[in-house]
Amino acid sequence: MRNRVLIVSLLLAGVVSATYATEFAIVVNPTNPARSVSLADLAKILKGKTAAWPTGKNITVVMRDPSSPAMKFFTEKVLGVGADEAKSVLSDSARKPSSPVVFAQSDEEIVKFVGSNAAAIGVVDVYNITGSVKVIKIDEKQPFDPGYVLKGH
Amino acid sequence: MKTQFWLRSVAILMLVAGTPGPATRAQSPKLKSVAKSQTVPISTRSQRARDEFELGMKQREDLLYTDEGLDSIRAAVKADPHFALAHAFVAFFTTDPAEEKRERALSIRDIGNATHDERLLIRWMNGTKNGQIVPAISAMNDLLSKYPGDKRLANLDSEWLCSGQQNFDRGVEVLERVLKADPNYFPALNNLAYCYALDGKVSMAPPLMERYVVALPGQPNPQDSYAEILRMAGDFQGALDHYRASLKIDSHFASSQAGLGSTYALMGEEEHAREEYAKAVDMTTDLGTKFNYRLLAAMTYFRQSQPEQARKEYLAIANEACKAGFPLQEAEAHRSMALFNPDPASALRDLNAAEAVLSEKHVLSAADRDTELASILQTRAFVAVHASMPDVAQKAFEPLKIMAQTSRNNLVQQSYHSASGAVLLAEGKFADAISELQYDPRNPLSLELLADAQKDAGDAATQQKTLAVLAAINDERVETAVAAPLARAALKATNKTTAQSLHIAGRL
Repeated sequence: MRNRVLIVSLLLAGVVSATYATEFAIVVNPTNPARSVSLADLAKILKGKTAAWPTGKNITVVMRDPSSPAMKFFTEKVLGVGADEAKSVLSDSARKPSSPVVFAQSDEEIVKFVGSNAAAIGVVDVYNITGSVKVIKIDEKQPFDPGYVLKGH
Repeated sequence: MKTQFWLRSVAILMLVAGTPGPATRAQSPKLKSVAKSQTVPISTRSQRARDEFELGMKQREDLLYTDEGLDSIRAAVKADPHFALAHAFVAFFTTDPAEEKRERALSIRDIGNATHDERLLIRWMNGTKNGQIVPAISAMNDLLSKYPGDKRLANLDSEWLCSGQQNFDRGVEVLERVLKADPNYFPALNNLAYCYALDGKVSMAPPLMERYVVALPGQPNPQDSYAEILRMAGDFQGALDHYRASLKIDSHFASSQAGLGSTYALMGEEEHAREEYAKAVDMTTDLGTKFNYRLLAAMTYFRQSQPEQARKEYLAIANEACKAGFPLQEAEAHRSMALFNPDPASALRDLNAAEAVLSEKHVLSAADRDTELASILQTRAFVAVHASMPDVAQKAFEPLKIMAQTSRNNLVQQSYHSASGAVLLAEGKFADAISELQYDPRNPLSLELLADAQKDAGDAATQQKTLAVLAAINDERVETAVAAPLARAALKATNKTTAQSLHIAGRL
């Protein structure tokens, strides 16, 4: 007997492929007053076209390498390009040095970085968030909301 | 009966006492101040409440004595009526919607008595139940980070990940971390086996079950779990053997008794199944579970082509569940009748009755109500498509569409996609129907429609694969009882036709 007998109807067809879908969360430092950002504005931040928060602090983007399998969906959805092009967009030499993109090895690193940098914005799998970061809405929706744009399959 | 219950409680207590498990027992205040706790500390002024809570967690979470475990936690809140964490656990574990609502409210009322970390755990429990998933995940990750040695906590999280979220990769990751630290932590062995099995990696489950049996000798649940895994894999005789081994250890382990019933039902031995279910109903003290076992027993009459008797049983359950305040079981009785009803108009009336239950004034959480309503609407679309009633399917789909726009509930979303697929199939838009139905690959009704859509789209090879997936499902869901036998028959007919064609071709 497994433990959650109440939800037995959810589970049993184990022979079928999983329906789990990755939901990306956009996280900022809890001191950051930002609560929501549009998908278009998120793209501008990633491309370096928007280099500072309304408070004036320079934005540091932190994310996994765009060529990693997990990021493929994200870069296509937000930047509208594949992994190779995404990497060149994110590493563009025209970007202000004060608003860099940092590539991290793990979501844990990203969460730590954002948790200790007031102006950072990070991209993580929602299952890796902690209380040290704040999840902001995209187009007024948060992860698990119907129609959340950063839900990958 | 009271004496029996008391003796049984003592017996479990003795088993628990000899069982290795996480040490959440209260430390002396002196020790507490110097040693950092490995587990989330619990705060109550009552030693009795603390002892009952710990006993309940061991029974419920470690040994899977679900009824007894819940009763012990209930005893904890009785000993300390302001024990917020225990109230939250009762709300989390109970099958009684009225108790769930009441206990959750009490956990919030008394949250001021809880420590910061207890509050995080309460936030996780309540959040996973009421759709506040983002703060729930955050709370649990903070706890896991602070208490990496709290194996029970990690185990609890993994259950939710694998069951509630179907995030098997993550669930497996959490459990493997626990087992790396303690390879014999038996609850994790059990859950890891289920995670793999539910993720379609059934062959990885039996070796874990072997370890589980060895790690927890003299306990019924390892045998019970092993049996269920084998049943899922279609090894019915193996399942029966392990269920019997479980009952030999504890002749009152209701889950194994019901497991025998379900295995016999899948084997086509329906009378035998009913006898076993009847024993299971007597064994369990939980009223919701009693109704669930009775629903399974009623289904055996349908399997046996005795629809009148089946309806009689289902109606009796619906009436009693109504009186006892179990609207989900009442609605399920009506929905089950609809699924087996050969007359579409009458089936739609059954579904009206199911829907009416939910519109009555019952104590029911919004999540449970939404989930059940979504299932009813999905079933309505399924019935309508089979009866070539596209308007009815569309009418069922419309409210689901509205629900899906605001609900974070996975099941609501899957029901929406399934009903959408049904409507598209009825409209002859096969490619779109396939795309929608693939969002709900764990529901036998959706798989049946998917196979139909693939066939109509001219993709016979993929249709055969879908039928094979459906035919291989061996569980006790009413949807499986409806759809899997048809898939098996279709596959058999195809194989026969293929064999005949080959034979004729050979002769030519």
